[in-house]
This record gives sequence, structure tokens and C-alpha cells, in this order.
Amino acid sequence: MAQQSSNETIIAQGVKVEGDFHSQGDVVIDGEVSGSIETTQALIIGESARIKADVTAKSAVVAGEVKGNIRASDRLELLATSVVQGDIETVNLSVASGAKVNGKITMGEMEKAE
Amino acid sequence: MYCYLYDEFIQGNKRYERELLDIENRLTDLGIAGKISRLALFRNAEEMIRDEIDRGVKTVVVLGNDDTIRKVLDVISESKIVLGLIPIGPKNELARLLGIPNGVEACDVLSARRIEQIDVGTINGRKFITGVRVPDFRAELMCNDGKYRVVPTSRADLEIQNLADICNPCDGMLSANIHSSVRKGWGPFARHEQTNSVLPFQFLAIRSDKPISLYADGEEMQGTRFDIGIEAMILKVIIGKSRVFI
Repeated sequence: MAQQSSNETIIAQGVKVEGDFHSQGDVVIDGEVSGSIETTQALIIGESARIKADVTAKSAVVAGEVKGNIRASDRLELLATSVVQGDIETVNLSVASGAKVNGKITMGEMEKAE
Repeated sequence: MYCYLYDEFIQGNKRYERELLDIENRLTDLGIAGKISRLALFRNAEEMIRDEIDRGVKTVVVLGNDDTIRKVLDVISESKIVLGLIPIGPKNELARLLGIPNGVEACDVLSARRIEQIDVGTINGRKFITGVRVPDFRAELMCNDGKYRVVPTSRADLEIQNLADICNPCDGMLSANIHSSVRKGWGPFARHEQTNSVLPFQFLAIRSDKPISLYADGEEMQGTRFDIGIEAMILKVIIGKSRVFI
């Protein structure tokens, strides 16, 4: 009896989200998003994702393109294919060789994302 | 107290005569026989059930298929009585999802009386159990009171699920699945790949400039505006061991 996790959101390629997207569960994005993204759980931005939004999450893994500020209250991982044009605020940061970041990076204790 | 509701298509049909006889005998053996009500062309199913509820019926058992359940779903979910199924003939997807075998074997499931409360979806005020299907979806979804909208950028089908093989009908949420066909590659090497987006929600609106067709529990609806929501845990239904949800 395979049951889908009721709170996991997947925005795949071929789908565009516009506006303020809020979630209480894990979010996986491979499509396009513009506006803002906020989740209290983990966020995964895939290689094909195109984000023009401010991003707030507990933890985030970025492999695609983000134009906007990223705020991860727990951990942020930028993979080799990631391109970030915006400021980053997090506690733990991992940057792979090849990742591109154009913005200010602030690290240290911060308030948890609501 | 049980009431058995026979759909029109099984009455007087030689094909189901023997099966009905076996079912009636088995129900008597199990001690759960009850009043039989028969649907007919000019008889309103909802009125019939309301009358039976007034007479003290606590469980309505539908003998028929998914279409029969759709006729009585609104009144049963509103009146908080228990729905039982004895699937007969084809088009019994709901019974399969609830783990109820076809024909006489369903009597034993009824007798075991394992009751589960499940969510029921609503679309423009009409209730559905399994889900809504929108083939060739070209409209937009307004989610979370219009805070964000979702649009497919390529050819897509939309499926909204409440009770399905991978969807839990007891979680107070519906799931919108957008199956898109995305073109990848270049020129003669291009190929189409299927992607699947999943959005859990409690309220969602479909807005379209042109009228679109969709199918709620298999029944066609047409329009440009559809408001879809969920009523959590309002339907009490008898389920079998082999149901698809936990």
C-alpha cells in the first residue's frame, strides 16, 4: 500500500507557479516559479528549475537557477550546476566546485523559518 | 437496520438474476437482511433514502456500480449514515479501492462491518469520492485563496485525487497531479518526456477563458469556473481488508 506523503509538493518541468507559494511540507521544484517560496521543511531546486523568487526554507539543496534571495534556517547546499543571483543567509553552507554565486553571504545563528 | 438499494440496471436483468438470489440468501444467512428499495426512472434516489433514514435506517447498502453510488453520495454523506457496497457488473472502481469484492463475496465484508470515515471532495457544491480528471488541461489553478496560480506550460492532463491507489482519503487533503509532456532535446533528436507535478491542497479553483470539460467520479461537467474543496471525514463507509489505503 504505497501512500503518497500528503504534504510533499512537486513542481515538475512543464508547470509554472506565479505568486506567493507557501508550504508546510517538503518541496521539490524542477519547473518555473516567480514570486516567493516559503516552506517550513526541506526544499530541493532541481537542475532544470528556473526560480525568480525569494526563497525561505528550513534546509535547501540548489542545483538550478535562482534569481532572488535565499534564506535557509538550517542548511544550504549549492551543487555544481547551481546559479544564484541574490543574497544568501544560512547557518551551514556547502558550495560545490562550479557553483556560481553573485550576492552577499551572511552566516550565523538566525530565526527559524515560520 | 439495513436498507438495500437496487440500481435500475440490475432489476429484471437475467444476467444478474442468479447473482442477486445468491446475495439475498447470503445476507439472510449472515443475519443482515433488510428492506429492499428499488431505483426506477422517475424515482428520486435521494428522497427514497431520506424516507428510509426517517424510518430508522442506519446503513444503506448500494447494489450496483460507481454510477449508483454517485446518485446517493450527497444525501448519505450529509446524513451521517453508513454506506455499504455490493458491487455488481462492470464500472466498480470505487469498490476495488475500498477493498470490496464483486457480487456475493461482498456480503461477508458487509457482515464484518469494518467502518472507516473518509474525506469527500466537492466541486461546485457537488460531492465526489475518487477524484476529478481534466484531460488536455489548458486553464489555470488558483491555490490557497488566490495567493498563487499554477499554469501548465506544455500539453498536460490534470488529475485531482481524493481516493486513489497512491492517495490517502483520510488526511483532509486533496492532491492535484499535473501530468505534463515536456519536449527535450533539439531538432530530430527531440523527444517528449512525461513529468508529474503534485500539489496537496484543501481548496483550489480552476479558471478558464473557454469552457472546459472535466470528469468528477466519471461524470462529465462543463464550465469555465470550478471551485474544488474537501469535507474532511464526513463519509462513513464499510471497507474490506484489501483496500488501497491504510
